[in-house]
Order: sequence, then structure tokens, then C-alpha cells
Amino acid sequence: MQYAPELTPRLEWAKLVPDVYKAMIRLDTAARQGLDPTLYELVKIRASQINHCAFCIDMHTKDALAAGESVERIVQLSAWEESRHFYTEKELAALELTEAVTVLTDGFVPDEVYERAARHFEETELAQLLAAITVINAWNRFGVTCRMTPGHYQPGQYK
Amino acid sequence: MTARTTYLDAGLREAMRALSAAAKQGLGDPALAELVQIRASQINHCAFCLDMHLALARKHGVSERQLDLLAAWEEAEELFDERERAALALTEAVTVLTDGFVPDEVYERAARHFEVTELAHLIALITVINSWNRLMVSRRIPPGSVEW
Repeated sequence: MQYAPELTPRLEWAKLVPDVYKAMIRLDTAARQGLDPTLYELVKIRASQINHCAFCIDMHTKDALAAGESVERIVQLSAWEESRHFYTEKELAALELTEAVTVLTDGFVPDEVYERAARHFEETELAQLLAAITVINAWNRFGVTCRMTPGHYQPGQYK
Repeated sequence: MTARTTYLDAGLREAMRALSAAAKQGLGDPALAELVQIRASQINHCAFCLDMHLALARKHGVSERQLDLLAAWEEAEELFDERERAALALTEAVTVLTDGFVPDEVYERAARHFEVTELAHLIALITVINSWNRLMVSRRIPPGSVEW
């Protein structure tokens, strides 16, 4: 089978602007404090799916699998509303919030979505979740705009 | 309207500020930086960010005419030069990622007007205002609020 050729990145941004890259790493480290790593990977995968970031999907599905996440839960993630029994109520609230914060252009973050999340996360944890959703959205923007190439990530590569 | 929460981790706040500062400094064009940040905040409906960046734009000498017509910059050719237009087109594409990718023509147009390091900082700036927009809209920080 002959696959299509691999695209090359548009811009090696991390090498070109190391000050920006370092700030992104600091941001990522700050956002993950106090969040359950399993939940964090689900959030990262779902936001990356919505933003169509191929590099980020490659990285976070591999990281999730390496951390022991099930193939089933990863595969079902893009249809989580119809496969709720694969996830906890807390995870579902976080996924719903992830979608609302990611698709801001469609209008705000609805009260019912925020309040549902607020019932499962106490205030500081919820603020960390919002930060985490924001940060994966930022990585997605670099990944898509600079056309970072998926497929070569090895779990733990950047740790 | 009151904020849903004003809590934001101190380390995160610092990192966001560092990212903003690096992006703006690297772009080296404060008036253009404000146009970009206002346009993204319009698309993301961030009242707090609009209020803040409209004030900053005026401070940096952006004209009222440009601010009035920024939301329709494509139809106001005489008000925005080619470099500004390329930056605004990129801003829209990177902000509305959910509609699919950043088209080659938009990226290449920006690459003709910005050298690579400037372009990387411009992308960083668009990304960082998108991040502030998310942090402010999701926590519903009111415009003009001193606590955020």
C-alpha cells in the first residue's frame, strides 16, 4: 500500500523562538498541577480532535496509552455523549467543559456547562481544569499553524 | 455581572505574562499587536479583553477609524495596509481552528510580510490572546474588572 507523502512543517517555531517555547513549557507545567493525569489526557485528546491538531492527537493518544488508558475510552472519546458509560460523571463534566471552552467562537461557556463542572470540581481544581483546557488549545494552535508533523512522537519524549 | 471565579494559579499567571511579553517583544509592533488582539477577542467574544485592548490600542496610537472598522477589515481596504491585512487574516484562521486548519494561502500571505522570527512571534501572540480569551470568558471576568 502506498500512502501519501508526509508533509513537512511550515515553521520550526520551538527552535526559532525559544523564549516562547520555554514560556509554553512553564504554562503547561503550571496548568497540570492538581489535575488527575488520566483526566488531563482525555481533555487534551478531545480538544486536539476538535481543533484538528494531528501532532497533538498523536502525542496525547500515545501518552494516554502509555499511562494505561484503554483503547476503548480513547476511541469513544469523539462520541462521548453517546458513550457516557465509558466515563465517570466527573470526566463527562470535564469533557463538556472542554468542548465549550474550545469552541468559544460559537459563543461563551454556557452556565449549565460551567455549573455541571463546578459540581464535580472544587474551585481551585476547576480553575486548573480551565487552565489545562486553555493550554492544550494553545499547543493546538502552534501545532496546526506551524503544521507540526504527526507520527514520530515517542511517549515520554519531552518529559 | 460577577465573575464565576477569579482564581488563577500564580505560576500560571506568571507563565502567561512571560508568554505575552515574549510574543509582543518579538513582534516589535505594538499597534499591530493590539489590532491582532482585538480581532481575536471579537471573534471569541471576550468582553474583558476587548475593553483592555481597545484602551491599549488607543494608547499606542491606533486610529478610531481602524478600531471602528476592524471587525470588517476585509471590506475596509483603504484603512489597513497589506501587512496588517496579512496579520489579520492569519489571526482569524488561527482563532477559528475548529473550522479546519490554517489555509496555505493565509499562511503564505503572512510569510511574505513577516520574516520567520517575526512570524513565529505573531503566531505566539495570536495563541496567547486566544488563551487569555479562554481564561476570561470561561471564568466570566467582567470588562474593566480589576481582579482577574
